[in-house]
Amino acid sequence: MASLTDHLSDLVEDADAVLLFSPTSSFHDRFEDGDTEVVVVAPDNDVDADTFVELPLPFDNVKDRIRFGIEGSMDADLVSEGDEVVCIASVFDGGSDAVIRVTVDETVHTGIYDLFVNSRAEPSVIRDVFELAIELGQKGQKGKPVGALFVVGDAGKVMNKSRPLSYNPFEKSHVHVGDPIVNVMVKEFSRLDGAFVVSDSGKIVSAYRYLEPGAEGVDIPKGLGARHMAGGAITRDTNATAIVLSESDGLVRAFKAGELVLEIDPEEY
Amino acid sequence: MFAAQSAFTEFAGRVPERLWLALVVLVIGVIAAFLVGVINRRLLTRAGVPEAIEGTAFERTVREFNTSTVRILAQLSSYFILAVAVIVALTVAEVNYLDRFWSSVAAFLPRLFVAAVVMIVGVVVGDKAELLVAERLRGIKLPDLGVLPPLVKYSIVYVAALVALGQVGVQTLALVVLLAAYALAVVLFAALATKDLVASAAAGVFLLLRQPYVVGDEVKVAGERGIVQEVDLFVTHIEADGEDHVIPNHSVFRDGIVLIRE
Repeated sequence: MASLTDHLSDLVEDADAVLLFSPTSSFHDRFEDGDTEVVVVAPDNDVDADTFVELPLPFDNVKDRIRFGIEGSMDADLVSEGDEVVCIASVFDGGSDAVIRVTVDETVHTGIYDLFVNSRAEPSVIRDVFELAIELGQKGQKGKPVGALFVVGDAGKVMNKSRPLSYNPFEKSHVHVGDPIVNVMVKEFSRLDGAFVVSDSGKIVSAYRYLEPGAEGVDIPKGLGARHMAGGAITRDTNATAIVLSESDGLVRAFKAGELVLEIDPEEY
Repeated sequence: MFAAQSAFTEFAGRVPERLWLALVVLVIGVIAAFLVGVINRRLLTRAGVPEAIEGTAFERTVREFNTSTVRILAQLSSYFILAVAVIVALTVAEVNYLDRFWSSVAAFLPRLFVAAVVMIVGVVVGDKAELLVAERLRGIKLPDLGVLPPLVKYSIVYVAALVALGQVGVQTLALVVLLAAYALAVVLFAALATKDLVASAAAGVFLLLRQPYVVGDEVKVAGERGIVQEVDLFVTHIEADGEDHVIPNHSVFRDGIVLIRE
């Protein structure tokens, strides 16, 4: 038993900061008097913590969750490169059950925090589109898997770099992602090909858009199809973010500045 | 046994009849008061009053005294009926020497009752309005708007206090004048402050309904040329060379729109 405790104290020794992921308030209170810096990473600031990083999605992948927390803390100057950070998170359902030590360096920085917070579109819009894509991935259209491509933000430029494939069903309508009716509409319209264009404030500007970006120099993983290539390329040409639901493997991927930033399996949510 | 009974009859005979009548009135009054209290409480509970006022400051305060708003209202109605019964009983018993005093009290009592009810309802409605406004504003994370909910609350309480004071016959003219001045100021400031906003919204409704330009069009409005990024009720975002111009819709409407086609 002694070696286990030794190992744990080795793990947490000399930590510059501790990241608590969705802690209960009593758990958080126990850290209040310590001298290491405490950062709370959670969907809501339930515990009234002074240093708080908002989690827009309950990332099921613990690595993504920790990356998001660390990048958020770096952005708020709570931790800096070279710091040793101890993360206390919940891997399985329930309370905090894991202690993970991470060194903050370049490899941690994948842009997952930038994707939500520093995109052109508002963070809540990005989150809503993610949730839409995830739900579409879980349910499909009439039980069959569908693919979808959402281009979020910088809608004016995206519209100029694309052409309509068909009559735009969202013309003269004023629906925003996050409206309850959108889930149903998008589910139906996803049968047809083309991209959904969403504006900075979340308004669905158009569906059935054929994107025409220059695809030179876009480096996305091999094996992904035309939809991902188009999504990745448009984010290089404009300041938009592309969120793509793959028809073949059912994963939701996010592209920014021409690069794959985040990959999520809808089945895990 | 017989002796006791005869003594009781003798005692009953000595007591004047009107006193017995007064006693009966009093007993009926007590029963009626109790029944009205219970019925009122049930009615208020049925009407969903406890859920509606849950969480208001008044309700929380009275909870600390181990009671509730509904119970207080019910008890108030009980006490009112009891007081009326007592006065009727006293009148029946012909307690002459206090006649004048009691008649004025009898006339005053209903008004006092109404005043108390108005005050309680005013405070509760004010609390509830404060809660609702605060809830609506929670989405907008702006601390300066924190003054709005208490303002709404105290406006309602102020009006309720005016009505209550008017009921008990206090001169409220000065307070009414104050209220009028306050209301005028609010209306005036609101009109002044939102003049441009209202004009923009009116123009925005037209822009959203008729869509003379849509996202992605190149336009020239209010002297700015660029690509439309966003049109909402109040403003239009136009981007050109990395500059994002936010143009209020009323100026778009006033100066006209130039659609640029290659």
